[in-house]
Amino acid sequence: MTDVLRIRDLNKSFGGIVVADEVNLDLHAGRVLGLIGPNGAGKTSLFNLVTGVVKPDTGSITLDGQSIDNLPIYQRARLGLARTWQNLRLFPSLSVLDNVMLGPRDYPGEKLTSLIFDARGVARRQAEEQDRAHAILKRTGLAGVAQSRVQDIAYGQQKLVGVARALMNDARCLLLDEPMAGVEGQAYGAIQRVVRDIAESGVAVCVVEHNVAFVRDLCDEGVFMFAGKVLARGTVGELIADPRLTELYFGT
Amino acid sequence: MLDLAIASQILWTSFATSSYFVLFALAFALVLKVNKVFNFAQAAIMSVAFYCAYVAVRVLGLNGFFGLIACFAGGIATAIAIEYFGFAKLRTRKASPMFVFIFTLIVSQFVSYVLMLIFGTWPTTIFPTMFWPVSLVGGIAISAWDLPALAAMATVLVLLWAFLRFTRWGQFMIAVADNADLAELYGIKKDRVMLVSMAIAGAICAVGMFLYGTRAQVQPSAATELMLFAVAATIIGGIGNLWGAALAAVVLGLVQNSSILFIPSAWQGFMLYAFLFLAIVLFPRGFHWPERASKLKRKTVTTLPASPSEANGG
Amino acid sequence: MEYIVTIIILVGLFVILAASFDLIIGYCGLISIAHPIFYAIGAYTSAMLAKEAGVPVPLAMLIGAGAALVSSILVALPSLRVSGDYLLIASIGFQLGLIELAKHFHEIGGAGGLTNIPPFLIREVGREAYAVLVVVIAALTVWFVRWMATGPYGRMMSALRDDELAFSMLGRNAIWVKVSVFGIGSAIAGLAGGLYAHYFRFIEPDQFGLLASSAVLTMVVVGGMRTTWGPVVGAIVLQLLPQAITFFGLPPSVLGPLQGIMFTGLVLVFMFMRPQGLVAASDLWRGREGGARHD
Repeated sequence: MTDVLRIRDLNKSFGGIVVADEVNLDLHAGRVLGLIGPNGAGKTSLFNLVTGVVKPDTGSITLDGQSIDNLPIYQRARLGLARTWQNLRLFPSLSVLDNVMLGPRDYPGEKLTSLIFDARGVARRQAEEQDRAHAILKRTGLAGVAQSRVQDIAYGQQKLVGVARALMNDARCLLLDEPMAGVEGQAYGAIQRVVRDIAESGVAVCVVEHNVAFVRDLCDEGVFMFAGKVLARGTVGELIADPRLTELYFGT
Repeated sequence: MLDLAIASQILWTSFATSSYFVLFALAFALVLKVNKVFNFAQAAIMSVAFYCAYVAVRVLGLNGFFGLIACFAGGIATAIAIEYFGFAKLRTRKASPMFVFIFTLIVSQFVSYVLMLIFGTWPTTIFPTMFWPVSLVGGIAISAWDLPALAAMATVLVLLWAFLRFTRWGQFMIAVADNADLAELYGIKKDRVMLVSMAIAGAICAVGMFLYGTRAQVQPSAATELMLFAVAATIIGGIGNLWGAALAAVVLGLVQNSSILFIPSAWQGFMLYAFLFLAIVLFPRGFHWPERASKLKRKTVTTLPASPSEANGG
Repeated sequence: MEYIVTIIILVGLFVILAASFDLIIGYCGLISIAHPIFYAIGAYTSAMLAKEAGVPVPLAMLIGAGAALVSSILVALPSLRVSGDYLLIASIGFQLGLIELAKHFHEIGGAGGLTNIPPFLIREVGREAYAVLVVVIAALTVWFVRWMATGPYGRMMSALRDDELAFSMLGRNAIWVKVSVFGIGSAIAGLAGGLYAHYFRFIEPDQFGLLASSAVLTMVVVGGMRTTWGPVVGAIVLQLLPQAITFFGLPPSVLGPLQGIMFTGLVLVFMFMRPQGLVAASDLWRGREGGARHD
């Protein structure tokens, strides 16, 4: 098993609140890891630390063996780190297709020189990326709404747009923040199938999710977090069965 | 050779003249803290206040007391008008921060052109003369303007502090400054509080302009520069920190006035822009655009009701 | 005839300024009103190079645009690295500070202005030829802004305006996009400055101050932000209106403030009555290919 993402001794606190306390975690290629724990356990914060949204106090993170500690967000993404957001963060002034089109690691035309001196090449590569975007929209069941505004489609579909946008990255490591929250019906099955597919293609996937059934069905492994600490790692079934963790989860 | 007497004279005069800088910075910082607006329209409030006093004293021939009353009336009325007809409307429409900012800037320009049309561009003062009798105290010349000006500044500082600390409306203002939506949930009328905060800022500007207009010449575009000085002081003093802004204004006033000793007086006007630049280069962390910050806060509060740690990352 | 040619040139120059400013403030959402200072940098650089160093005018104009590009990046980079909102204060400080500085430099004419700037084309070919040159460059600018806004960069700018964090997380370099757009827009303004200087042959620091800022801002807001034709309509309407009142023969002390009131008053009216401007932008971005090649 290859470690794609390796987190070592990560610490972070905001004022008095500790969101990461000596976190050590590895994500393996082709595996889906579920992060579970009560609200405030530091799950989303861990995503923020890994992606560079928040700088850790101490600790190190490597992606495919390369240190990403000093890289800004966008450079981490270009190394193959993609994520979705709990509150979606789609671009409302773009259509579904255009939201997804912004996702490639190397966006054709981002370099002004190529935009101006190689307009033909940029157009060709844009067309290629557009074909890829259409393929991904088809795979996520969004082909029918490609031209719609993101605020006009169902919430579950909006979640899928977030996933589709992240998929354009061809990521080595994909972080999904509550992909199922508020999702029901068709989209539920679609998200599950897509995530499974992604993992099988060799991506390391990490999911934060409160829907225990979803985590159990989908994840190869689970990690229980509480107060910024990784308390236990095992199969999801084991974690759910542990009375200590259940008590922490539901509180008293 | 720079001797002690000259140095202390310059220090004293700079300190005395910083009184109105402090007031302008205080007004700017207050509106930024409570209303969450970079209120460049403060220049309009200041100009109108000055010209009201000017009309009362120089045109109508009333005495200084009525001049001060007119100054207050002009400043407060303009501030209230800007809040009521401008900011409140833009808030209900959820206009972007950029839109609100352009509004403040355009209002200040608009008012300055209207005043130019009425009063011309010739500089003028509230009283016919701006020379004040001077008495010597320990080798330092203290003008009859200095002490009342400093007393006025101190009074405003104490009154504002006491108002924020001890009165209901003062507490409301602090609550709105912390989190306007939360304050609203507790039954505090946000719009009313913001109106009061603007009125207070208008009154503070009026005191400042009355002081300035009795000591220096004013023209319709003068308020813009005075206000930019307040912006620099607010950035350096730390956003949301009224007393920090006031202190920064004193320091900037001292530096600008005492710069006479080191650089030609023609370059003094340039100092202001140097301050603005240095404020941004040297104190970047002290400065956060308020609308963005509050928007972020709202977002995380609504999506993550029970997880402060996760809210931090958004 | 000369009067009409001059008006055409002024309208053309303001179309260039308004369209390039729309790229910055409208499409990219960068808050700055210091556009006229880059116009000034282009004008002064080109005028000084042609006048003092004998550089051929077209080359001087291009160097002027380059100077505007470099200085705009120097202003934008440090402020945007911290937060986009700094740009506003930094750029106003830069604009007013530089004007103050120019007033004290007698080598470039000081507060009285720079006179006797070498003319271009006017003597050899005629004023009409200069008007044609300006109109062609204005048309090219409008086309270029549209090309930027409807291409891959336009998609990036829309997303950046919506959500900078999500934009960065996709691997896009937000600071680079902002700085490059600010630089390009400012360079175009610098070129317009050169075109102004070598026709009117006189420039002074005060003409690039806040009145000019409100004029350009008004053209974009009244015309309609984020549209191809908005800045064009805005520039034509707002250049012709002030010209109309010059016919009343008012003294300059009245005319100046009156024009100022008109510019700022119009913005206020539009902000509250018709915030989208004369030409309304669609709130959904469409690229030039616009989904034509599939489905």
